[in-house]
Amino acid sequence: MLPCLAVLAFASLYPSGAALFLSLHDYNWGSRFEYIGLGNYVELASDREFWITVGNTLVFASIACVLELALGLYLAVQVDRLPFSTNAIRALLMAPLMVSGIIVALMSKVMFDPFLGVINYFLSLFGHGPSAFYGASNTAMATIIAVDVWWQTAFVFIIMLAGLHNLPRGPIEAAQLEGATDMRIFWKIKLPLLMPLLLTVAVFRSIDTLKVFDIVFGTTGGGPSLATEVVQTLAYRTSYGFLQIGKAMAIMVLFSLAIVLLCVAYERLQPDAER
Amino acid sequence: MFGRRGNLIWSLAVVGVALLLTLFPIYWVLTISLKSEADAFASPPVWWFAPVWENYAKLWTKDVFRSSFFNSLCITLFSVVLSLAISIPAAYALSRLRPRGARAIARWLLLAYMLPEFLFIIPMYGIYQHLGLYDTYTGMALIYQAHVVPFSIWMLRSFFADIPRALDEAAKLEGCGHWRILWSIYIPSSLAGIVATAVLNAIWVWNELAIALGLTIARAQTVTVGVTSFRGYASIDWGAMAAASIAALAPMLLLAFFAQRHIVKGLTLGAVKG
Repeated sequence: MLPCLAVLAFASLYPSGAALFLSLHDYNWGSRFEYIGLGNYVELASDREFWITVGNTLVFASIACVLELALGLYLAVQVDRLPFSTNAIRALLMAPLMVSGIIVALMSKVMFDPFLGVINYFLSLFGHGPSAFYGASNTAMATIIAVDVWWQTAFVFIIMLAGLHNLPRGPIEAAQLEGATDMRIFWKIKLPLLMPLLLTVAVFRSIDTLKVFDIVFGTTGGGPSLATEVVQTLAYRTSYGFLQIGKAMAIMVLFSLAIVLLCVAYERLQPDAER
Repeated sequence: MFGRRGNLIWSLAVVGVALLLTLFPIYWVLTISLKSEADAFASPPVWWFAPVWENYAKLWTKDVFRSSFFNSLCITLFSVVLSLAISIPAAYALSRLRPRGARAIARWLLLAYMLPEFLFIIPMYGIYQHLGLYDTYTGMALIYQAHVVPFSIWMLRSFFADIPRALDEAAKLEGCGHWRILWSIYIPSSLAGIVATAVLNAIWVWNELAIALGLTIARAQTVTVGVTSFRGYASIDWGAMAAASIAALAPMLLLAFFAQRHIVKGLTLGAVKG
């Protein structure tokens, strides 16, 4: 118990405190170290780049999260219906989850290459002209969302499939005897029973997508111009690129507060207050 | 609408499309890693080709890749062992001894798990430079605990909850201490859960990028940071990039393949029990 607390304190409590402390200073890794109170926060409030980044992050997280939840749940329902053992299918569908985000990013760069990529080849078969994908501001974000959906939908799928397997048989069989359609049974019985589980998965996916880093870093690096810059890549650039540690920490403190608030909100939503 | 038969066909079609979309990118990158340069850049793409191994041979002679691959193996192993050593007793204590503040600790754990990486990285960069932990295996294994320990405790707690309490009451009457109970009852009967936890932790650590990017530079550079060096000349050397991707994802895909059942059980048990 004690070693656990010690390691956790070192690895989580110390950085949080230090982050708060640094965010109140003007610091560049080197000699300049000056207390400026809320200066970094004031600067952020009027920083256009920061607000664009926040907007991008919200767009990415909400669209990717909704798509992943919907597709994962839908796929789980379809697989659950199959009358044979689906372990092999589940194992294959799970594969993307085992791949590192940066490798997903590299793979997608090969596939979405504007000149020689196989995706543009497929599009040309259907009579579409080539798309620049990562290279143009109006397609870059959609491409990143698509890649994240490929990468993480399986997480929703696996958990919802287990949820479907664990549903009580009684009410479903009763409804079938009454002649209810599959569709009705899903909306009226299965979905309400799955709701708490779906909410838990939503917590994980929404926080994970807000924290997106690997895919953006590995593909566009936030570009073109600022079209795909998200909070964590901005923090990386601000600290390791521009050496504005105080500002980067102010971004992270605000971002962490938002995540904590989100956790609290979800906890309120969860119907059983068992935890 | 279409009757049971139609429903079944529809489900099969959906699952077929999902399988195709899921597996095609991996298959495609695998073929590129085995293609000669001319075949890789061919347009329209070539579907049948004579496989060549030169991309992998080139990769193996690259010191950066080889050493970062080895570093990742060491850091992953070190992190997983450390996380189990910390979280098995901690999960036991939290689920059975119910110390005061157990709820607060559980919340803190979940929060530590949720907080963004860069909140940790930048303060740690400073202190790691002072302590000499920057760019070392130990430093990496330690910082990863911030994420891996909460997850492990959370998982192990739900596995420990399945063990009947009567067992440890009986052991206590026989005069067993907590360590003895943990060692001879809890660990053997939740071995599957411990394996699941270890595998999921290994996958997470192996795949992690942001922290490794911030806290390593050369000696402890991990494979995820190593492959980012292929990003720059992406359009020139697809073969090397594809081969690096396949080589870096293969270990975890293999591990996942062999431990599939454990992984699914671990993921779902954690979520179902919350």
